[in-house]
Amino acid sequence: MISVADLLVDGRIPGNYFATDAYVRSDLELGLLENRRGDRLLAIPDTLIRAIYAGLEKETGQATRLVLFNCGRWWGKNFYARFGEELTDYYGSPLAEMSMSDFIQSLKQCWLTHGWGTFDLDQTYQHRGFLIVKVTHSPFASHSPNMSRPVCFLETGVFSSFFSQLAGREVNCIQISCESQGSDSNRFLIGLPDRLQGVSEMVDAKLSHEEIMGKLCG
Amino acid sequence: MHPALESVFNEAESRYLNANELNIVGGYVESIPDRLEIYRILRDEEVNILQPVVDQLQQKFPASEAKRLERSTKNGILSLRTCAMGMLLNDQGYVQERIQWIKQTQKNNSLEDIDQVFYPLLEQQLNKTLGNLKMKLLQDIFQQVQSALLSDESSSSSSSVNSSSSPAAPDPVDELNLESLF
Repeated sequence: MISVADLLVDGRIPGNYFATDAYVRSDLELGLLENRRGDRLLAIPDTLIRAIYAGLEKETGQATRLVLFNCGRWWGKNFYARFGEELTDYYGSPLAEMSMSDFIQSLKQCWLTHGWGTFDLDQTYQHRGFLIVKVTHSPFASHSPNMSRPVCFLETGVFSSFFSQLAGREVNCIQISCESQGSDSNRFLIGLPDRLQGVSEMVDAKLSHEEIMGKLCG
Repeated sequence: MHPALESVFNEAESRYLNANELNIVGGYVESIPDRLEIYRILRDEEVNILQPVVDQLQQKFPASEAKRLERSTKNGILSLRTCAMGMLLNDQGYVQERIQWIKQTQKNNSLEDIDQVFYPLLEQQLNKTLGNLKMKLLQDIFQQVQSALLSDESSSSSSSVNSSSSPAAPDPVDELNLESLF
């Protein structure tokens, strides 16, 4: 017998932790934007992102991609830790007890609420050991300089770190389609390092994401 | 805040409200005591409203479906609380974002068949508890929720799990354990 009273733990039914109007808060006196946990948030204008790209290009040249990738790696590791803590605290149960679909639903909403675009996880190739993250309206793709190649180095770093933490083992991430090159979305291929051998060369050879997946899984 | 009221309040720095706009504000303010009364009933009678619904659900579905029934019930509690707050604020926008979340949860857990039975039963129980007059203030919001959850449309333009045009893939992994996946 299901008892409605028993389902209400402390009278709570957890919902959408990252709902925009619940997650983002402002402190008018101190001039701070915070999340519902009190961690500071920052609104970043488009021009700042363009300025970061321009400054890095000027100072580091071709190393820009590596600098941004490593920034993403560091961010991704901390993002995973904070994301996990927030969900664990809110839902009152360890992350390991959460279903994949609930986890991804929360991650989607988190991505959206932070203004990083939309996030989807494509599990079409999961039986071959690959996941594809699809991000649309990425601020990093829309404001990067034209490099005639995928340019979301920061996000690539974030996902490599985030999914490594989630999987409990080192996985790589390579971007295989990019909005800056006219693609409908930014696709990030995630898999074990040895399974992604040769993918960078396929990207440099300007193969489409379908061709790349065809060669990997064909 | 109700979008009409929000847009009216945001005009304050430009001008005073005109007669029509003041009527909008006045109308909402006058309805607040009724809305508070309905909200209190929904809050205080939450278990009494939902338990008969759940009891009937358990008669219609086998015991093996207990886990899904529980999940549908939790979603139902959340839906009703969202309705209550949406009614209090008179804000369908508030409801819309939250219902999209519940819709995705429904899809993730394949609860559509249970919800097709749950929400009509819930509506009957609400009519019984609130009566026709009070139900009028809740009706629009409840219909918004019920329509969203019982429609066949996907919850958003993109879904969490995407099986696209490539060769037929097995069912996605739903365990939060990617170690074995890679």
